[in-house]
Amino acid sequence: MITELPEPAVHRPGSPCRPRLLATLDADYVEHTARLGPLPVLGPRDLVDLAASSGLTGRGGAAFPTGRKLASLLTARRTVVIGNAAEGEPASSKDELLLRRAPHLVLDGLLLAAQALGGQEIYLYGPSAVLASSVRRAVAEREDARFVRLVAAPDAFVSGQDTAVVQAVQGRPALPRTNPPATYVSGVRGLPTLVQNVETAAHLALIARYGAYWFRQAGTDEEPGTRLHTVSGAVRHPGVYELPGGASLDDAVAAAGGPAEALQALLVGGYHGGWVPWDPITRALPLSRSALRDYDAAPGAGVVIALPARRCGLRAGADVAAYLAGQNAGQCGPCRYGLPSAAAVLERLAEGRAGPRVRTELDRLLRMVDGRGACSHPSGTVRLIRSTLRTFHGEVDRHLAGHCSAAPVPGEVRR
Amino acid sequence: MTMTLWYLGRGFGVSALVLLSMVVALGMAVRAGRPLPGLSRSAQQTLHRVLSLTAVQVVLLHVLTLWADPYAQLRAVDAVVPFAGRLHPIGLGLGTVALELVVALVVSSLLRRRIGLRLWRAIHWLAYLFWPLSVLHALGTGTDRGAPWFQWTVAACGALVGAALTWRIAHRQDGTTPPRPAPPRELAGLR
Repeated sequence: MITELPEPAVHRPGSPCRPRLLATLDADYVEHTARLGPLPVLGPRDLVDLAASSGLTGRGGAAFPTGRKLASLLTARRTVVIGNAAEGEPASSKDELLLRRAPHLVLDGLLLAAQALGGQEIYLYGPSAVLASSVRRAVAEREDARFVRLVAAPDAFVSGQDTAVVQAVQGRPALPRTNPPATYVSGVRGLPTLVQNVETAAHLALIARYGAYWFRQAGTDEEPGTRLHTVSGAVRHPGVYELPGGASLDDAVAAAGGPAEALQALLVGGYHGGWVPWDPITRALPLSRSALRDYDAAPGAGVVIALPARRCGLRAGADVAAYLAGQNAGQCGPCRYGLPSAAAVLERLAEGRAGPRVRTELDRLLRMVDGRGACSHPSGTVRLIRSTLRTFHGEVDRHLAGHCSAAPVPGEVRR
Repeated sequence: MTMTLWYLGRGFGVSALVLLSMVVALGMAVRAGRPLPGLSRSAQQTLHRVLSLTAVQVVLLHVLTLWADPYAQLRAVDAVVPFAGRLHPIGLGLGTVALELVVALVVSSLLRRRIGLRLWRAIHWLAYLFWPLSVLHALGTGTDRGAPWFQWTVAACGALVGAALTWRIAHRQDGTTPPRPAPPRELAGLR
């Protein structure tokens, strides 16, 4: 029945590997099952063991081990399963791409988990446009997906946090709640709820068919399998690319056609991530948590943005911080009041209007916000601002002296 | 020694009232639709937190010193059961209720992550009740209630809270959120 098993490539760091998630794009249900084989039926223990031994981690950003998350639902009699495709992150498009062009893989993963874990309800939460088109079509093509309910996600940065997803599925505003309790302990109507990123679900669908060993044949021990990356900014061909785990920053940029012009840094891990300078040494760093720890960055949801050398890093950081500050849900004080204050100080610095004590002032504000609030939004934003100050520290000094090394853009440094 | 405790207890009481008025006023102002001139919202919030924790300590000192003082004739039960006091049972009782509210506010704030936002907010609303209770307690039992300086102090506290309330109502949050900045164009991914 399996006519085309995706052939695993022997991984050498940096070597390309054959696409897995992106191997069956635009396949209808008949073609999908013909090429991948039928979806196996797994018992709860089998699913957990398979996920754990594959080393699969959540691809929504937090990189929580999928095996552990599934294991914590084993004791529950009734559960709820939610596929999460809400990419609040403006620079991430991989979940939408999966829903648009490989919806059957995502549905496979959700049905597999629900079937094994006694899932009474299955939801797919994502951008309304893609739910109404390709997902609706895919659901209509197969008998087993009749009960999957589609829930539209608002276009807001925090709408994809798992506690916000649980709220949205219950018909409430998609705002984060405090954690604990974790959603897999108490989620939709108090039931243990699996909130799974759709890329993670798609990987599960392949692991169930081809096994944990196959999954590990791509990637490294630390970052097994493949991972979707949205590579954008100053690259020749911005897009979504599937790379083996542990591929280097260079590989990611090369996959997108290489730099479109001279680069100075990459923003890795998205708006809650960190800047990594682009130089001959750092560009060889693997996209892994341990290698990027020094930069407060992580592969996260696979976002890589290339910042060209002609742009001011402080300006870029201040713009992202202003966006993030505006995306606070207005629920918790530190986030609601602290983030706009911090973003305003960074803006003043980017405009060249800050005094010599600006570093102390920002540090004081950031320490007040870091680690507080109900969700990870304040801490993530603090991480981005600190990374901006650290990576572009020379630029901070120049701005304090009234200069900017970037090519003059009208109105950029007012002095 | 005995007179020292008595004076200290009264002093802590008046100090607590002043501090708490500032806490309540700041708490109301920070929720208004517009920040106070010259004080950013995050600064107001920090001040609210620091002052409220200071005020709680002063309230505890107020209770402990008067409890230790023989003249006030406070029993341990008066700190828990309201309206059972020997001297000024009504005024003292109001103070007891206020003290219990303080305990509820502090404990619920410490447990905020455990009890959830909704319950925490419901309890925190009780803070509004706390201020009139402590004013009535001050006017009901205060030894100095007849002294002009005391009356002026209470009046000033009332004016402060009244002003904050006016500001809060005048600049009500109208539900329209300020425009949110778009993600920077060159860093907005494939959009």
